[in-house]
Amino acid sequence: MVGLEHYLTVAAALFVIGIFGIFLNRKNVIVILMSIELMLLAVNINLVAFSSYAGDLVGQVFTMFVLTVAAAEAAIGLAILVVFFRNRGTIEVEDVNVMKG
Amino acid sequence: METIILFAPLVGAIICGFGWRLIGEKAGQVITTAMIFLAAALSWQIFLTFDGETRSIPILDWIVSGTLHSEWAIRLDRMTAIMLVVVNTVSALVHLYSFGYMAHDENWHEGEHYKARFFAYLSFFTFAMLMLVTSDNLVQMFFGWEGVGVASYLLIGFYYRKPSANAAAIKAFVVNRVGDFGFALGIFALYFLTDSIKFDDVFAAAPALAETNLTFLWSEWNAANLIGVLLFIGAMGKSAQLILHTWLPDAMEGPTPVSALIHAATMVTAGVFLVCRMSPLYEYAPQATAFITVLGATTAFFAATVGLVQNDIKRVIAYSTCSQLGYMFVAAGVGVYSVAMFHLFTHAFFKAMLFLGAGSVIHATHHEQDMRNYGGLRKKIPLTFWAMMIGTLAITGVGIPLTHYGFAGFLSKDAVIESAWVGSSYAFWLLVVAACMTSFYSWRLMFMTFYGTSHAHGHDDHGHGHDAHGHDDHHHEPHESPMVMLIPLGVLALGAIFSGMLWYKVFFGEEAAVRNWFGMEAAAHGEAHGETAAADHGTEAAATETHDDSAATEAAPAEGTAVASEEHAAEGEAAADAHGPAGVAPKGALLMLPFTPEEQAVVDTRLDAEKAAKAEHAPTTMINAAHVVPAWVKVSPFIAMLIGFGLAWLFYIKDPSLPRRLATQQRPLYLFLLNKWYFDELYDVVFVRPAKWLGNFLWKKGDGNVIDGSLNGVAMGIIPFFTRLAGRAQSGYLFHYAFAMVMGIVILVTWMTLFGGAK
Amino acid sequence: MTSVPLPVLMPALPEILLAVGAMVLLMIGAFLGEKSTSTITGLAIALLVFVLGLLVVAPPYGTTFGGSFVLDSFARFIKILSVGGSAIAIAMSIGFARAEKFDRFELPILMVLATVGMGIIVSARDMIALYMGVELMSLALYVIAAFNRDNLRSTEAGLKYFVLGALSSGMLLYGASLIYGFTGHVGFAGIAASIKANGAGVGFVFGLVFVLAGLSFKISAVPFHMWTPDVYEGAPTPITAFFAAAPKVAAMGMFLRIVVDGFGPATAQWQQVVVFIAIASMTLGAFAGIGQKNIKRLMAYSSIANMGFALVGLAAGTAKGVEGVILFMTIYLAMTLGAFAVILSLRRKEGMVEDMSELAGLSRTHPAVAWSLAILLFSLIGIPPLAGFYGKFAVFGAAVEQKLWTLAILGIITSAIGAYYYLRLIKIMFFDQPVAAFEPMPMEQKVVLTGSVAFVLLFVVFGNPLIEASARAAKSLF
Repeated sequence: MVGLEHYLTVAAALFVIGIFGIFLNRKNVIVILMSIELMLLAVNINLVAFSSYAGDLVGQVFTMFVLTVAAAEAAIGLAILVVFFRNRGTIEVEDVNVMKG
Repeated sequence: METIILFAPLVGAIICGFGWRLIGEKAGQVITTAMIFLAAALSWQIFLTFDGETRSIPILDWIVSGTLHSEWAIRLDRMTAIMLVVVNTVSALVHLYSFGYMAHDENWHEGEHYKARFFAYLSFFTFAMLMLVTSDNLVQMFFGWEGVGVASYLLIGFYYRKPSANAAAIKAFVVNRVGDFGFALGIFALYFLTDSIKFDDVFAAAPALAETNLTFLWSEWNAANLIGVLLFIGAMGKSAQLILHTWLPDAMEGPTPVSALIHAATMVTAGVFLVCRMSPLYEYAPQATAFITVLGATTAFFAATVGLVQNDIKRVIAYSTCSQLGYMFVAAGVGVYSVAMFHLFTHAFFKAMLFLGAGSVIHATHHEQDMRNYGGLRKKIPLTFWAMMIGTLAITGVGIPLTHYGFAGFLSKDAVIESAWVGSSYAFWLLVVAACMTSFYSWRLMFMTFYGTSHAHGHDDHGHGHDAHGHDDHHHEPHESPMVMLIPLGVLALGAIFSGMLWYKVFFGEEAAVRNWFGMEAAAHGEAHGETAAADHGTEAAATETHDDSAATEAAPAEGTAVASEEHAAEGEAAADAHGPAGVAPKGALLMLPFTPEEQAVVDTRLDAEKAAKAEHAPTTMINAAHVVPAWVKVSPFIAMLIGFGLAWLFYIKDPSLPRRLATQQRPLYLFLLNKWYFDELYDVVFVRPAKWLGNFLWKKGDGNVIDGSLNGVAMGIIPFFTRLAGRAQSGYLFHYAFAMVMGIVILVTWMTLFGGAK
Repeated sequence: MTSVPLPVLMPALPEILLAVGAMVLLMIGAFLGEKSTSTITGLAIALLVFVLGLLVVAPPYGTTFGGSFVLDSFARFIKILSVGGSAIAIAMSIGFARAEKFDRFELPILMVLATVGMGIIVSARDMIALYMGVELMSLALYVIAAFNRDNLRSTEAGLKYFVLGALSSGMLLYGASLIYGFTGHVGFAGIAASIKANGAGVGFVFGLVFVLAGLSFKISAVPFHMWTPDVYEGAPTPITAFFAAAPKVAAMGMFLRIVVDGFGPATAQWQQVVVFIAIASMTLGAFAGIGQKNIKRLMAYSSIANMGFALVGLAAGTAKGVEGVILFMTIYLAMTLGAFAVILSLRRKEGMVEDMSELAGLSRTHPAVAWSLAILLFSLIGIPPLAGFYGKFAVFGAAVEQKLWTLAILGIITSAIGAYYYLRLIKIMFFDQPVAAFEPMPMEQKVVLTGSVAFVLLFVVFGNPLIEASARAAKSLF
């Protein structure tokens, strides 16, 4: 029987993987965008699991909102990445460091 | 009108001080002087028409905080009226005089503007002094008190290029701070005990204060006495009384008009004014007044001895001022505040004149101040000579003994000495001896300056400070001062001659006249009784009772009544204690209570019994008693004066080599006096050097090593370290940023799980 | 089919007006093209001012959308600040756009949209509304950070802001999901009731930490502040001014509402988090600011430190503390806008300058500006009787009242350390040899600067109504 804790564990694992993807990856900013999606999906799993466990629809409604916003966020992220690429000529994470200190 | 008097000098000071660049230096001088003359004219009008009724003229609400409600108001009573006249008259004349005196000053380079500044300071001083004398409450008075301190500092240090002037200014400021500390403590204590700083409330509470005890510096004190002493410490600082007197002679570094205005006629008398103003309190503080008497007498004596041997003309007069202030304090200390005010009033005229005269001499001899370099000036500057002569006759107290005809100083000083005899024989003897010495040094000044042969030329080469300026050719012949300097001398001379005779009656004549003049209750007995009644029966019927009683007792001169009222008074005070401080302020500018039975017993032994029996009024008050002292007491100051004159004549006219021989023979004594009893040296050893050492220690070791060291360690070491660390953390890399955020989460989660009370 | 009644829209009227207005402006812009920039800017300001007037004169108080959106006195106060701040920031961008040939009509529209987001977050009373508001604000802010799309720094700022912002959104959401799971509610009232009934369990505390971390990012509290210096530096200056002002105030308002309204019964828990980030923010803001040479970066650290000070008041957890925070943020807004008015005027013929050393001798070349900035800096240090002192006094006072001595003392120490960089700026302006003068200051910046300085100077006299208003606002939260 798959219980709530299994879902939560999977979600937590996904979330952590997403976070690690953000700060361990030194190569490509696209990977960061993917990691962000991963985190949001982990949240969605959490919400749906809780929702179904509690028999309460609010969590699933929340999920729909999150999905929508995630799409918008990805779009904006990609757009910013594109203008950055135009200026810098690269999207290596290590090259995003003109400003520091 | 009072408001105009108060603010005219301020307006003048502001216009002249800030606006002279616009209107020109000359216009600034004229405006300030005109303003002060306006104030002086109005002051005389008030003085001559004032009816003695105390009134309060509010100007604005000043401080409102909790129970502290302080209005800025003018308290107009006889004291204020007197002080207004003194301050404004002398100030106006000094302004006028300064036109001449400050016209050319070698402390400034060609083309430098200093006159407007000088006049603005003078006017500002006048304003501050007026604030002081018109104040309605202690805080306002303190404001004026500090204002004159600032003005005095600015004016002593007016020649700011001279290191000695700067040092003197700082010294005056610092020594005055010591006194002000006492004054401030006194104000705090009064506020603490009476919950008010208004004079009326404080005075009303004075009888109750006499019954209160207060813990201060680890022991119990009687509140009235303690406050009296604390306030007097303030007065000591401002009025240069012994212990805190050292700044006054040094203050002569300021321009001479300043010495005349601030350090002779007005500011230094603020201490006397304070004691007289607080007379309703001091009347209930016998120990404090005894202390004042002793200290005043000692100062009078001490300063006179030092004055004997000084050679700087201004310093002689400065010590004389110090000494005369001692006289005033003795008068206040023995309880005849009106006499203290009398001497203050006459002294203002003749001492201002002596200073201005000395200024005229200095001006004439091109800023030479050493009397040994004068001599024979009588013919060269005759008008100044006559002015100085009148001043000397006034200060030494020349008059016809046992009558009321004489120079101003004769009347007021004799009044002080006669009162002193009644109050304290210690003070009496010191004052008589001081009178002798006063006469000696004053005549010495006259003889050395105006008689004998001129010594000026013998000293040409060692620096009067002008040789370098290259106008010695026409400047070395002494010349009479211009009219603007002589007119003030003339006006003050009138005051020095006549002010004593004209106002003798109201300051020290019949008691009824004095009381009427100061707006006090009609008769002493009535007042004592009235006070008692007020305290005894509470406040409701106080007013009417007072009236009835005073009317009833006015006509009854018998001693029995007075004694009876004394008994009442004793009861009344006990009752006042039970009732708390719900008294009423005594009427009038001063309060002079009759003697207590114990005092009366002592006093009776001193009086001329025959005269006392014949006297119209029983000697139950200080004024009445002072009129019936033995004849030899009355004559003694005159004789002392004659002795002093004779000795001076002997020393400086008859046998000019005598002083030198005496000085050689009595070398230790001479040096002791010349060095002003070694007060400066003593303070140097006791206070200045330890303070400097402590300061040095704290600076080098404490501040330098410990504080700077640790602060610098932090500022130069630790902070930049953290700054670099923070800068390094802000590496610019996204993954570091994200990592920091994640670490933040991890730390918070860990903390919260372990200690965060997650249950 | 049952008909669903339309919710009451009045409480959301300001946001609706702003959103619709933004769409209309977008249409106008889309049809008229680039040349319509100044028209749209003017209209955007007019729109914001209109909404501001609505909030000031006739605030439509009430709750709607099933309790997930509220307009109370607190929300109204914060909205007035943020709408006003946005309007001023847009106004200050006019001169910049003219001088830099930087006329893109989307900028004011995006700012208005961000303002809508701000309005939503301070009114949100459940997690969903909160999240939507945050995203609406953030997405607009990501774009305007990268708005100068031909500039490397600007786009890098946008990218950094976006990535870290998305990470923080993820944290916020993850926390929200945990809170939803462990309390069974997304509404603040329900969450609070559940905590009250069941206590704060481990799951909830986990969620609490994540949510607060996500929110801390928006107010740039340490250690979630890393984006701030880079974004402040990289974004075009008027946009930095905007960032520093309105969104900070709104995010702080959101922070206040959620911890008081939603997590009120768990005060003991969130208090520890707030104390931690407050100390970290104050300390880092003070230390890191010292090393800065770029004045915009300096302002970033200054705002980090100031958020730390504000959180000190919140850490008290009392109405007094919240009142202090509101007051502090009001004063902070005024000072920041004034300071940015000066920074925006640092322009020579060849372009903007951002280096602090360029301010050398400003007191001789532009005395009025130098004195104004000096007054603002003294206020930021917290010298009485300037307004900044009263702000700090309010928050530290609230902390002291709750016996949070360490926090208050640390606050004062870090204030003193932080004073160093303000004073250094003053030293540069007044004692260093002048470099070349700047172009004259545009009118709108003059007005903002004058207003800001007047506020700072006169607060001591006329501040009482403001204090009373913030007290009323704080009371409506409790």
